Amino acid sequence: MDAAAQIIFGGLFQGSLYAVMAVGLALIWTTIGVFNFSHGVLMMLGAYVAWQLTALAIPFSVVVPLTMILMAGVGWLLQASVVRPLIGRPNIVLVVVITTLAAASLIENGTLEVWGPRSKQIPALVDGNAMLLGVGVSLHQITIIFITPFILLALWLFLNRTRTGLALRAVAQNEDSALLVGLNVKMLYGLAFAISAALAALAGIFLGGYRFMSPVMGADPLLKALIVVVFGGLSSINGPIFAAYLIGFFEAVCSYYFGLYWTPALLFAVLIITLMVRPEGIFSGKSRGLA
Amino acid sequence: MSMPATSIKTPGRIDWKHEAGVAAIAFAVLALLPLFITDSYGRHILIMAFIYAVVASNWDLSLGYGGVFNFGHLALFGIGVYAYGLATKLLGIDPWIALVLSGIVSTAAAVIVTVPILRLKGIYIILVTFGFAQLVMQLILSQSAYTGGTQGMVRIEGLYIASHNMVRDAKFAYFYIALGILLLSTLFLRSLVRSRTGASIVALRDNEEYAISRGISLVRQRMITLASSAFFTGIAGAFYAAYQRNASVDVFGMSLSTIILSMVLLGGTSTIYGAIVASFALTIFSEFMADFGAWRPIITALLIIAVMLVYPSGLAGIASSLFNAIKRRRA
Repeated sequence: MDAAAQIIFGGLFQGSLYAVMAVGLALIWTTIGVFNFSHGVLMMLGAYVAWQLTALAIPFSVVVPLTMILMAGVGWLLQASVVRPLIGRPNIVLVVVITTLAAASLIENGTLEVWGPRSKQIPALVDGNAMLLGVGVSLHQITIIFITPFILLALWLFLNRTRTGLALRAVAQNEDSALLVGLNVKMLYGLAFAISAALAALAGIFLGGYRFMSPVMGADPLLKALIVVVFGGLSSINGPIFAAYLIGFFEAVCSYYFGLYWTPALLFAVLIITLMVRPEGIFSGKSRGLA
Repeated sequence: MSMPATSIKTPGRIDWKHEAGVAAIAFAVLALLPLFITDSYGRHILIMAFIYAVVASNWDLSLGYGGVFNFGHLALFGIGVYAYGLATKLLGIDPWIALVLSGIVSTAAAVIVTVPILRLKGIYIILVTFGFAQLVMQLILSQSAYTGGTQGMVRIEGLYIASHNMVRDAKFAYFYIALGILLLSTLFLRSLVRSRTGASIVALRDNEEYAISRGISLVRQRMITLASSAFFTGIAGAFYAAYQRNASVDVFGMSLSTIILSMVLLGGTSTIYGAIVASFALTIFSEFMADFGAWRPIITALLIIAVMLVYPSGLAGIASSLFNAIKRRRA
């Protein structure tokens, strides 16, 4: 019972974090067709912005939305500076990898310069601990497990039920036609980046609430988010959501039975096998080209 | 088959005698550099530039010519570093043999990583090779009994020539070994890309379906591309370990990958020489900015973004547009 509870709890928690990270990455991939390698540092920057706002004695209930709005602006700026000018170039996938990596280095070193290397922590969403099925858990983590599905549902509704969301998906499916029917493609690209960055910031607040923050804290979540989107397929945001929870559980099981060291190796082994058998991901029907 | 040699604009179609002549002069100049740069620190920077040039130019083979987005290239370098360290420390193999052995181990690793990416394209190759690099790093970290884990390996045996102390005379010997590795690697890469094999690799990149329909094997050529790019990368890694006399998992980190990748892209892909020149430029530029401390990576990142936005074909693009401007003025 104890083991099962621990695995279920660990899987749900990791899965929630990965889902919030991965949908942002998938959103950019599906709309613009590029991979944002600065997604991890956006998460880190979100946590630092939240810390700074908290330090200014702003109540935490205001800090969370304010951070997300500020980071949405950062995402928009990032898109306008290092992605949009490159659109239409033949080797855009590769060039965007390098520009977003450079932007990541820029933000990471800038953060180090502004806030220093000392570890920081932001307040938990909800303070306190609880015993659940014989496992001691923090309420912060429980809160994350419970709000994440609502956030994902909200995003899903936005993409499938609102005009703007449908426009985003239209751009994802056929950019030329979207342009022809009069959609403002540039604005939609910016919007995709803004939403993605806001979600990354939220993941940063989640992570910064129970673990010490550092300027390099984004590297590992970025890697996991990459695995999740590959695993789930890149054609929609539903695939990555399922994959995030699946990988969360896989990690929880592996680290319980094989230890923390072997978990990443096993994860990559599974990833490579998945790609060899089903390059388009396991939850994906038809992919946005494999190029 | 007769081809009008002048009309083909692919790189590597310059008359080989011209190319060999220019390259020989360039390497002769490099070989004479120790006459002017006599201090140990200056030579150290050049040695590092040579190592980076080998890694970057070999990456250009898979990335530029092959069009294979191999993001595990630095893992091949790291495998060279650790192969050398383990071979000399644990197995007691002679350093020179270990140097060559490391190249072979890296080549074998490249063959292994090629298997899962044979069916993949574009971004998926980036993700798998990126994952491969992380996997290798995790394996090294987990086997801390042999590899030292996060502490790394220290006191690795250096190279030797008779009883000569390699760090004496301001690293004179290491300078020429590094230059020798760069020379051999460049010779190998240029001969490869100028050969029929090289042409078929480019053909697969530019029009895969057509190339396959003309009887080029994607599997075999991709294996050749990745394996060829790995050998000297592994040797450069081994040399790096021998020269620094330590090994750490930092070589698998994103920051080194970003720097080397920007060398490849800044130089302009599919030229080999571009990557080498950019490696020199970036290493020396980075040294000039040593006074800026923490601002150095920030300035470097801004520079990379600026060049990518203005000149997506890199320094080679700048050079060719300058060349064209001069030609236009003459005409």
